[in-house]
Amino acid sequence: MALTLVKGSEGPLSAVEYPEVAEAPRFTCALGGAYGATLGLYGAVPLLHSGSGCGMANAQGMTYASGLNSGGMIGPTTTPCSGLVEEHVVFGGEDKLRRLIETTIQIMRGELYVVISGCVPALIGDDVDSVVASFRDRARVIHVKTSGFAGNGFAGYDLFLDSLVDNVLSGEKPDVEKRLVNILGLAPNQHVFWKGELLALKELFASVGILANPIFADFGSVAAVQAIPKAALNVVLSPWNGLAAARKLEERYGTPLEAFGYVPIGPRDTASLLRAVGRRLRLPGRKVEAAISSQERHAYRFMEYLAEMFMVAMPHAYTAVIADSRTAIALTRYGANELGWNPQLAVVTDDPPEDRRPEIERLLTEGLEGTSVPRVIFDYDSHRIRGYLREQPLQVIFGSSLEKYIAKRENESHHLSVAYPTYDRLVVDRSYAGFRGGIALLEDMSHSFAGPT
Amino acid sequence: MIDLSENTCPTREQRANGINAFSGKASELLSQAREGKLKNCERDFQQNSGCLLNFYLSVRVATIRDSVMIVHAPVGCSAPANIYREVYRRLWTGLGRSHDDFDFHWLTTNLGERDVIYGAADKLRFAIAEAERRHSPEAIFILTSCASGIIGEDVEGVVAELQPGTRATIVPIHCEGIRSRIVQTGYDAFWHGILKYLVREPEKRQGDLVNVASMLSYTWQDRQEISRLLGRMGLRANFVPEFASVEDFRNLGSAALTAPVCPTYTDYLSRGLDEHFGVPFFMYPSPIGIANTDAWLREIGARLDLSERAEEVIASERARWVPRMEKIQEGFAKVKADNGGDFRVMGSLGQGRLVTQTPFFRELGVSTPVALCQDFDDLLLEDVERLLERVGDFEIIVNTFQAAEVAHTARKHDPDMVLSCPFQGSAYKRQKGMTRIHALRGDGRLWSAQAGYAGAVACGNFLLQATKNRSFQNTMLAKTEDPYREWWYRQPDPHYFHRKEARG
Repeated sequence: MALTLVKGSEGPLSAVEYPEVAEAPRFTCALGGAYGATLGLYGAVPLLHSGSGCGMANAQGMTYASGLNSGGMIGPTTTPCSGLVEEHVVFGGEDKLRRLIETTIQIMRGELYVVISGCVPALIGDDVDSVVASFRDRARVIHVKTSGFAGNGFAGYDLFLDSLVDNVLSGEKPDVEKRLVNILGLAPNQHVFWKGELLALKELFASVGILANPIFADFGSVAAVQAIPKAALNVVLSPWNGLAAARKLEERYGTPLEAFGYVPIGPRDTASLLRAVGRRLRLPGRKVEAAISSQERHAYRFMEYLAEMFMVAMPHAYTAVIADSRTAIALTRYGANELGWNPQLAVVTDDPPEDRRPEIERLLTEGLEGTSVPRVIFDYDSHRIRGYLREQPLQVIFGSSLEKYIAKRENESHHLSVAYPTYDRLVVDRSYAGFRGGIALLEDMSHSFAGPT
Repeated sequence: MIDLSENTCPTREQRANGINAFSGKASELLSQAREGKLKNCERDFQQNSGCLLNFYLSVRVATIRDSVMIVHAPVGCSAPANIYREVYRRLWTGLGRSHDDFDFHWLTTNLGERDVIYGAADKLRFAIAEAERRHSPEAIFILTSCASGIIGEDVEGVVAELQPGTRATIVPIHCEGIRSRIVQTGYDAFWHGILKYLVREPEKRQGDLVNVASMLSYTWQDRQEISRLLGRMGLRANFVPEFASVEDFRNLGSAALTAPVCPTYTDYLSRGLDEHFGVPFFMYPSPIGIANTDAWLREIGARLDLSERAEEVIASERARWVPRMEKIQEGFAKVKADNGGDFRVMGSLGQGRLVTQTPFFRELGVSTPVALCQDFDDLLLEDVERLLERVGDFEIIVNTFQAAEVAHTARKHDPDMVLSCPFQGSAYKRQKGMTRIHALRGDGRLWSAQAGYAGAVACGNFLLQATKNRSFQNTMLAKTEDPYREWWYRQPDPHYFHRKEARG
């Protein structure tokens, strides 16, 4: 979890002994991430093998923080939890877990029961795998080992995928469906727009004849998980989330992967994604180009309806984005390449692994129109982030709701929440993905600066 | 006895025979409690219900104005506190809050794998120094967690070592989730830290200062109303813990009285202030409903030699509010007439709301044949007895708001209106009525008020409003799935999955 600054490392961090000690960091724990992912998979029932507050912490601190959502039908207080207390610390929690799994199968409908083990069983050494294995003949039960200190919430999404690959997929190599792709890298209940993005991407791929398996957000359930090895390509839309799973799938099933790195906003990057995936699937270029040009034409025609307002209210703005890696990349690129904005600052808040940081920095700084190259900082400490924002003039801050009042008062800047935590707007199936994503973005933010003069 | 030489409080189980489960008549609950027969129980099927730290202690402590909260835990334990910078700013400044005071700060030690193996005392030392360096606070609160508890972190040792060189008062709070099945233990642990480290020996008694410890579930408007009423008595309210300054906590010991809003929540503080600082208190009633607000003012008047003033205030307030309450009562009379003569309400109540809210429902004219109670202990037995005298016997389910048990009870008793806690999974799927029992502190609308006279009228109107249309509940019931199998609803007892007694 070491934290380094890629650029501008002259900041206040130099004397820091424990940089991970942080004010209001921008993620939950691994248990939370796996829990959020399970809630995103239709038909899956999460069982938390943990203290009784872990689920509640993540109800208010994760699902509610991803656009005021409650996690759906099996969210908040509906989620089974072993509620470990001192008695279990002394005598072990395996017995309690066994009874919890048994009764959960009895009382709650589900196609997949996902045991997510937290700090307490990890510290007391519960053999959760054995307990889970004893249900092999009764129901589909899997284990995700995610003590709260095993990484952050975004890493928890990867741990969940890893468990799916190891425990739900069959070992055999199925026949490949050549127009089928899996979408990986969108962490349910953490990436704020996950539902809307997955559904928009499915539709987008359909427009060029590709069948996309979003796994989460729709009704695919366990069948969608089992279909993963049939895909001709794994499309990874984060610079790090989903990558480990895609590599494992490549190793095990020979499925190639396209590491695109982010969910594109607006026609330019969206067309790039379709072309990249089209090439990998050897789709006829003419067909892909026809689909791109008709959607692009529509999007730009509609841009004309907002262009006058935009040129008056927010042209060539200095912008900052404080968000998880993929959201930061997508917004920086769209602003610079299509809106004529000048990105000044990108604070990456999801603590990506060290070895992925050069690629993230590349995506944030290369291939941008204009003369501005944003300063890239990897940090998640809300106090330091507030300091970075003060260091340059800004007109637009994309961030979390932690920036809501700071943006207005300290930066005279407009603000829109796009990343964890987002407590100031409801996000259900909204997204900025695809050809009309930029229009949606401007629809959501322009009311605050484009009023009558 | 509140023993401040200890590092922390006893659990509610130890201190007051707190229990997490019961199903039966309130009269039986009372007599079994008196006979010492009640036991904590272990559930084979259990659901998320909050822990000592995360029944939102972290969210509350983060609102103490000139302090820094340090959560000594893995990163997820403090996730709910991410709401700290903006939610309370929804309260508009016109309601009497200042802008800058709401700039709160908290840190997590963000424990990792290495820390749980080698210990993280050094990280905690660093966090304390960082809190001081960044914000020079008046107090630094340290909230512990399951992980810090299991690895045996010597938090007290670190505090003793660092306090001499730290300007802020360091207040450790032992709210490890594994300590207790009763979330109230977390509040007791918080009050223990406050009493032990912050409350100052009074130099002079402030005869007009009344301590009011109020729940997060009572809103800013409730605070306004309580201030207004105390102001009419010539008194000032000292509100803790939310939005208080550290000086407000220091002053708790110099107040003339501690008055309740939620007695179970305030219990440890009230007793501790009485035993150690000579501040008298009373536990019943709370100012919920017209009659209870009258009685609350009368009790304060009697204790502070302001009885005459109390009667004047009550008379003039009644003249203003009772006619409006009568309109609401007429409204409910009509609802009842259209509903076959009765309107049955089932509320998800904490122990405090059980004794305060139930009489209020009677005041409105609705009946409460069954009540859900989060937990139960010996602290309010006299108040429960008084409640039974006032409203008669009723069914009571003590169940830490276990959602499947709540759903089962709602199906079995089929009340006309279910009043649910926020985030009570799927409770909105009903043929009959459903609404929320309370709003949250960031809600500044008068509509959401509950305390005092203004709150009684607002809350009465709110409930009446809830009877007028249930299309949302009906539609969600018809068009979405139920998380539980039908089998569950056919079991005779919502405590079907209970073991009789827990080991610890």
